[in-house]
Amino acid sequence: MSSSEQEIDSLIGQKYKEGFVTEIEVDTFPPGLDEEVIAKLSAIKGEPEFMLDYRLKAFRHWQTMSEPNWAQLNIEPIDYQSISYYSAPKKDSDKPQSLDEIDPELLETYKKLGIPLDEQERLAGVAVDAVFDSVSVATTFKGKLHDAGVIFCPISEALKEHPELVKQYLGTVVPETDNFFAALNAAVFTDGSFVYIPKGVRCPMELSTYFRINAANTGQFERTLIIADEGSHVSYLEGCTAPMRDENQLHAAVVELVAMDDAEIKYSTVQNWYPGDENGVGGIYNFVTKRAECRGANSKVSWTQVETGSAITWKYPSCILLGDNSVGEFYSVALTNNYQQADTGTKMIHIGKNTRSTIISKGISAGKSQNTYRGLVRVGKNADNARNYTQCDSLLVGDKCGAHTFPYVEVKQPSAQVEHEATTSKISEDQLFFCQQRGLSAEDAVSMIVNGFCKQVFKELPMEFAVEAQALLGLSLEGSVG
Amino acid sequence: MMEAERVVSQYPAQYEKTAASLAGQSVAWLQSIRQKALASFSESGFPSLRDEEWRYTNVSAIEKKLFSPAVQDEIGAVDVSWLNTYRLENAWTIVLVDGYFSEALSNLAGLPDDVQVLSMANALEQCPNDLKNYFGQAVNDELHGFIAFNSAWFTDGLFVHVPTEHVLAKPVHIIHVATQAGYMANTRNIVAVDGMAKAELVETFIGCDEAYLSSAVTEVFVGKNADLSISKLQVEGDKAYHFGGTYVVQEDNARFEHHNFCFGGLLARNDIHTDLGLASECDLNGLYLGVKRQHIDNHTRINHLKAHAQSKELYKGVLNQRARGVFQGRVLVAEQAQKTSSEMNNRNLLLSNDAEADTKPQLEIYADDVKCAHGVTVGQLDEKSIFYLQSRCIDEETARNMLTFAFANEMVEKVKNKDLHDQVLQQLLERFPQSGIEQEWL
Amino acid sequence: MLSIKNLHVSVGDKPILKGVNLEIKAGEVHAIMGPNGAGKSTLSHILSGKSGYTITEGSVTYQGKDLLEMDPEIRAREGIFLAFQYPVEIPGVSNIYLLKAALNAIRTHNGLAEVDAFDFLKIVKGKVKLLEMDEQFLYRSVNEGFSGGEKKRNEILQAAILEPSMCILDETDSGLDIDALKVVAAGVNSLRAADRSFLMITHYQRLLDYIKPDIVHVLADGRIVKTAGPELALELEAKGYSWVEEQVA
Repeated sequence: MSSSEQEIDSLIGQKYKEGFVTEIEVDTFPPGLDEEVIAKLSAIKGEPEFMLDYRLKAFRHWQTMSEPNWAQLNIEPIDYQSISYYSAPKKDSDKPQSLDEIDPELLETYKKLGIPLDEQERLAGVAVDAVFDSVSVATTFKGKLHDAGVIFCPISEALKEHPELVKQYLGTVVPETDNFFAALNAAVFTDGSFVYIPKGVRCPMELSTYFRINAANTGQFERTLIIADEGSHVSYLEGCTAPMRDENQLHAAVVELVAMDDAEIKYSTVQNWYPGDENGVGGIYNFVTKRAECRGANSKVSWTQVETGSAITWKYPSCILLGDNSVGEFYSVALTNNYQQADTGTKMIHIGKNTRSTIISKGISAGKSQNTYRGLVRVGKNADNARNYTQCDSLLVGDKCGAHTFPYVEVKQPSAQVEHEATTSKISEDQLFFCQQRGLSAEDAVSMIVNGFCKQVFKELPMEFAVEAQALLGLSLEGSVG
Repeated sequence: MMEAERVVSQYPAQYEKTAASLAGQSVAWLQSIRQKALASFSESGFPSLRDEEWRYTNVSAIEKKLFSPAVQDEIGAVDVSWLNTYRLENAWTIVLVDGYFSEALSNLAGLPDDVQVLSMANALEQCPNDLKNYFGQAVNDELHGFIAFNSAWFTDGLFVHVPTEHVLAKPVHIIHVATQAGYMANTRNIVAVDGMAKAELVETFIGCDEAYLSSAVTEVFVGKNADLSISKLQVEGDKAYHFGGTYVVQEDNARFEHHNFCFGGLLARNDIHTDLGLASECDLNGLYLGVKRQHIDNHTRINHLKAHAQSKELYKGVLNQRARGVFQGRVLVAEQAQKTSSEMNNRNLLLSNDAEADTKPQLEIYADDVKCAHGVTVGQLDEKSIFYLQSRCIDEETARNMLTFAFANEMVEKVKNKDLHDQVLQQLLERFPQSGIEQEWL
Repeated sequence: MLSIKNLHVSVGDKPILKGVNLEIKAGEVHAIMGPNGAGKSTLSHILSGKSGYTITEGSVTYQGKDLLEMDPEIRAREGIFLAFQYPVEIPGVSNIYLLKAALNAIRTHNGLAEVDAFDFLKIVKGKVKLLEMDEQFLYRSVNEGFSGGEKKRNEILQAAILEPSMCILDETDSGLDIDALKVVAAGVNSLRAADRSFLMITHYQRLLDYIKPDIVHVLADGRIVKTAGPELALELEAKGYSWVEEQVA
């Protein structure tokens, strides 16, 4: 037996037979990653066998891969053996019982962002039964979805209730072989959202991770799968503007979206993972693989994101435009300050006929940060009449940061029209002076101008996010002016 | 994880026999450079698809073909009447045949005493100290295998030096001619224009219809307040391989203009890099045409190292049949390069289902008080323009032909030297990737 | 010359022209005025053959022939000329080439011999003088680097050389200052003839002070709602478009 198994054995004093687990109550796995850890993870979650096979296959593949090496990012090597790959949900009695127990600085941030009180409680992890409202809201919400036939639950639950559905789609958009972090995620993902919208259904409300029923700590290796069947429509919101701290430094999520004929998925993200202190120490590494397959004719997927957090961000939400007349969109605001580094962008792959893609990327660099846009627009040989329009603008605040744009355009079809434009500039003295002459402080002026710069993206966000996102930008730029 | 092994190149073994006959045998610093370059090439070989700057251009055929080093005694005869069609009426001309200077075919009569225009081999013999401060200063052998190869085995080239305040009365024209199949010519050129001087250089590349490799590395130094314009007309043979690297260092207030016409060759790659000094200016222009199975790759790099510099760039491509056009326009703005202004555009027209355009406009910016923009299009002619011509009685097909030609012709119109302009225009008409073009449209 | 009957035109699903009726006889000068969004530009585009519109009902007959059947270049060769509101720039195609090609296309279409270079230059130079333009512009690319006023003058110059039978002026006065307007108007007036008709599309009455129309129409909400003599233009100027709409409602 390995030492980790001995430890567990002694902790729980139970007989353990490989591959056969009854009830185990475990708090946290000790750090380390091998096939046994994965088997245990799968067992604790009570997954069907195909899932364990999938995880092990991914793990074996991961072992043959090496970390990606992007020229612009500067990161400390990650020790994958020092991470613990499972952590049980906190019991209510262990959670804070009210906001009084929460760090006042955190509360101050919530206030600045305009987050309502009961949401603050949820975010701060205050125990559920101490918050009356969230229970009733959750119940009404669940009811509405059920009536519409929409499935929205944690993936762990979906694996139990709808295993066939998960099996049919999981890993078909982002195979475990896709990249280093996708392989790792496929092996050790903890939980995430599963959404299935049946044919012809327009999801009656915006789905938000706020309302995910499972209170488990799913943050680190999150896996999300959203399927919009023919003629359906769904808008999904992820993340929140409040700074999310986590003991775990590495976050490697995978999001797969599938849109069938005439279906539409709108996926919005506001991400503000802890970016590290002013000296860049302790921030979160956020490596995400997000991809959508517009499988059906006339399908559409829209990615909208506002990224202000993380010490390191590496994500390229992409659309594979397979179906004829399908549409892919990417709207992004990425802000970096202090020592943050972001290498983000998108890939639009045009395969079907008459496909269209739009990319609007706004990067704001401040402090000593590095902000890079990396995008790919590829038009295949048979993608007749493909259309792409890309606009990448970078705004520099201060002269110690960097803004970089590395687009790749590959076109094999003569009837395609691909247009890419990028500009880089700073907030002009004239603009600033004008605002100040109208009574605004320099910081407010910058905030206002930056919001104007990002308007094209903000208007794509669901309203509740848009308002918070604007406040978030202001907050994130604090201290960068002057 | 295991690194895929680099194919060990056969070239060093083939070429070591020529080492003793190369120019500059007695120039110690050059020998040292050659040896280091040889070591560098032996280790890295020619670039591979895994190198970021070569991801779209596969040069493995060059390794397979193992081009023989051209040897002076074996140079073929040149069809003089054919060569003469490429001469400029009013210029000082140097002709390099298979990488070797041909005095008989060149014409340097009337060159002012203080201007140096001579073959590299002669310069290494007569005035090696003049070259020492230039050689290897504009480009590093580590950049990629073609540079190192060139440093190690170049046979000849051109050395031009225009002294302070001298305004060169005529352009200097260098014609590279390849006469034999299966051979490689490596030429090394140095062009130095001192402070406040003004000069024009034209490079023409022509060759036979069989496979050969022409590799030219040119280091350019533009002094303070100087003005240099270089035009390149590459009309190599249909089966030729061409590498042309032009690496420029611009001092404060220097002005550099480049016109790059890539029409020939089976596989052609150009590097055009420039380092901009304080308040200097560069204007890079290019036109590439691709037919049949041509592969044309232009990688440009503009480095704004100091403040107040201005850069402008426009490259256009017209690709038909199975041709492939690759373009990179990289602009780097260093931290102290405030008040930089930069604009870069690449426009491509694809005329067939099998043609391909790959383009990478890149901005790497570390200063904030800058105005940088780039734009890239791959696509079609402007519908409004087509309709306008139709409303003026021109049928749709003719309108499209006219606009496609006008698209390319815009780059030819920028050539100020009338003689060269006419030559380039003639080449454009002969080689245009679309038929139905009428001379009288001009 | 031109007969438009019950013309209905849509862009996508949106109807723009909702039953336009218009008769223009040879030698007449008509003006169409109307509020923005009435469909004035749509009308000029339909007549010149621009794509992107759907004709859902109605007909347009030109000199007895079905105009809507003809390709744009054929309409041009048959004698229809559109002076664009926003003339496009065509780098690389010289003004003189375009003029010669267009003129020869028309002549060939009409069974005449092509004009030779010498004669052509004579014709052109005369007209250039008339429009107070610099001869050098002939060798520049079409509209490249031209100011708004120069572009509009270039349009009229083309009309002068191509001698159309039906000349449509789409907001020719937009963007012109008073001096440029006078020159353009003089050019247009010099083209008036018994076998030539004009259709001026304009938002403002100002142009009509210089090019006096025989008949003035008001196009509102996709239909011609009022037709009268030149005094209608002055009434509109004084009372505004809403006056007409009230009258018609």
